[in-house]
Amino acid sequence: MPIEVTLAKLSPTMESGQLVKWNVKVGDKVKEGDTLAEVQTDKAVMPMESFEEGVVAHLDVQEGDEIALGQRVLVLARKGEDPAEVARSVAGSAGSASGSKAAAGSKPAAASEPAQPSGSSDTNGQEPESVASESAVAATGRIKASPLARRIARSAGVDLSQIRGTGPGGRIVRDDVEAFLKSGGSQAEAPRPAAAAPAPRRGGSDGQTRRVPHSRMRQTIAQRMQQAKQTAPEIHLTIDVRLDRVMSLREALNKNLASEGVKLSVGDFITKAVAVALRRHPALNASYEADAIVEHGEVNIGIAVALEGGLIVPVLHAADRLSLREIRQGTEALATAARQNKLTPKQMMGATFTISNLGMYGIKQFDAILNLPEVGILAVGAAEQRPVVQDGQLAVGWVMTATLTADHRAVDGATAAEFLRTLKSLLEEPALMLA
Amino acid sequence: MPVIQYREALNQAMSEEMERDDRVFLMGEEVAEYNGAYKVSQGMLDRFGPRRIIDTPISEEGFAGIGIGAAMVGLRPIIEFMTFSFSLVAFDQIVNNAANIRYMSGGQFSLPIVFRGNSGMAGSLAATHSHRPEAWYAHVPGLTVVMPATPADAKGLLKSSIRSDDPIVFIEHENLLGERGEVPDDPEFLIPIGQAEIKRPGSDVTIITYSRSLLTSLKAAEKLADEGIDCEVVDLRTIRPLDMETLVASVTKTHRAVIVEENWPYCGIGAGIADRLYRSIFDELDAPIGRVFTKDAPVPYNRTMELAMLPSVEGVVAEVKSLLNR
Repeated sequence: MPIEVTLAKLSPTMESGQLVKWNVKVGDKVKEGDTLAEVQTDKAVMPMESFEEGVVAHLDVQEGDEIALGQRVLVLARKGEDPAEVARSVAGSAGSASGSKAAAGSKPAAASEPAQPSGSSDTNGQEPESVASESAVAATGRIKASPLARRIARSAGVDLSQIRGTGPGGRIVRDDVEAFLKSGGSQAEAPRPAAAAPAPRRGGSDGQTRRVPHSRMRQTIAQRMQQAKQTAPEIHLTIDVRLDRVMSLREALNKNLASEGVKLSVGDFITKAVAVALRRHPALNASYEADAIVEHGEVNIGIAVALEGGLIVPVLHAADRLSLREIRQGTEALATAARQNKLTPKQMMGATFTISNLGMYGIKQFDAILNLPEVGILAVGAAEQRPVVQDGQLAVGWVMTATLTADHRAVDGATAAEFLRTLKSLLEEPALMLA
Repeated sequence: MPVIQYREALNQAMSEEMERDDRVFLMGEEVAEYNGAYKVSQGMLDRFGPRRIIDTPISEEGFAGIGIGAAMVGLRPIIEFMTFSFSLVAFDQIVNNAANIRYMSGGQFSLPIVFRGNSGMAGSLAATHSHRPEAWYAHVPGLTVVMPATPADAKGLLKSSIRSDDPIVFIEHENLLGERGEVPDDPEFLIPIGQAEIKRPGSDVTIITYSRSLLTSLKAAEKLADEGIDCEVVDLRTIRPLDMETLVASVTKTHRAVIVEENWPYCGIGAGIADRLYRSIFDELDAPIGRVFTKDAPVPYNRTMELAMLPSVEGVVAEVKSLLNR
């Protein structure tokens, strides 16, 4: 039997991918571990490696094609199999994105035709599909789409309401979704000539209105943020934290570390303190699932990194066991990899809690949206000098405001408050982190 | 490979199995002296004699019951109904006794019996002689229902049926008896019960059918091919048990299915198959499952009206196109 290579999950939230580049062609010999192709996931361009050995007999998709998870992308002939023979035998069952299916009913807007008298009317039932409607959206607001079309749209993260249905009664069928994906998601504007959609330009201040098509990352962010807001009842708790001791400790440590080229940031202390606090409050280091709350054994901190046109949350694994220096180096490595689109799957998977820090923009306080299925995310504001009351006297102190967003399905207010109290004590007396 | 008629293939299957196993015998109306009402048992009386090729009076309930009793004590009867429309008289024997003996006796008795004969709307036979009984029998746990469409399938499946240790309802079609096709003369040519066959591979839509409707469906597939629609035609061959594996694989490939049967629609074979497909591969379907069937009314004597009731090539073409919205 030839080996059918299908698209595997290359990132934790990936539901489909786009083939950016083939690194092999028909006839090439492939070893285990060879890079077959580069695939754009929802997060980054990832190498797709071969788990098998063989000769490339057939490619199912072309560069630029959308691929669903589990979809066959190529077929390898095993040792002793004739690649040409294999290619012939698989050609008939080619993957659905091969573009050879255009004949299968993609006639546009045929919905106004009357239902065919098919010689098969069932006198026990009603004549089906006698109502022709131009739109897939029924009067009730429900979108008419075939189960297969729904499945493809779901895995590609596409909103069906953007797609025009050409099936009976305006039903959205597979061809419609595939055409939509192929056109880069702008098929709803189909009547307009393609030229009407200008290429996105950045920083345009010329007064022109323009449409910027969603990037894959934008689609993912939109979907995940919406999902979080729609499913998780959030609770927000805000706390002020004095950072005077962190500031002086940081200064002292950085003097020592300067020779190694390491410069700790306030954020590194916060990461460390959050990780240690999570170890003491496992209810916050958790995922909410339908039938249980999973309290994770590892403390893995997701660190939100802003990118051109989006953001990404790489993961600092076992952060509670890392030294400040390791946290700094790890965070830097992750941010660099993220900006260069070079994160590995491991660097993007397994976060148990997320920190989002906008302090560098001078933001005082904000509320972050959960990174599901995690139950908590900490929004960190700027460390700044503020007037504080100390021993009944007005004084100047370093203060930061942090806001915890927690999923109230899993975490109650008092539990979240206890976590914040621990976090505050660790930051206000950083020596406690050594204890 | 020899080309023979469907009726000759049935004759070969019975004769070979009777040669192989002397417990096998044939009993029914006109099977012996008249050589079969449809000449299926041509020459078998001369070859096997009156102890094994037995004419009966018009008494379906009686000879079906005799067959069941004979099978319980170790013989392997083939009971021929002149047409399955007449099996209704023996319904109690087939459904209550044949289907349940193994179960009711706690496995003490098996029932190696074949009930066979033709069926269908064969031309001005009118309402009471045009029945298609497969849905009635396929409803019953304990029965196996086989319906071959080609001479080769008829032979291979009848031989397997005769060798089965459990009761088989083997339904032929009067209008298929004269169909010709290549049939192996190997006495061990057996087709396993419960396996559908893809009679025509295709990629756009799966036509699921059996018995005479296979011919209708293959013609429709050819017409549709002219219009660029590539149909896969699956011949069920066995109605119960249903070969879901083949159906699921085919519909998963084409994402659309049309079921063609010469049956009434309500609680018909297509209804049962559609139910199972919807429940097993809902997410693979790009269109509702289409059905083509006989109109829901008694079968008229008038030939023109009878033909208008039957699934037609045009009807299958139209149903396939409506699924594709073409």
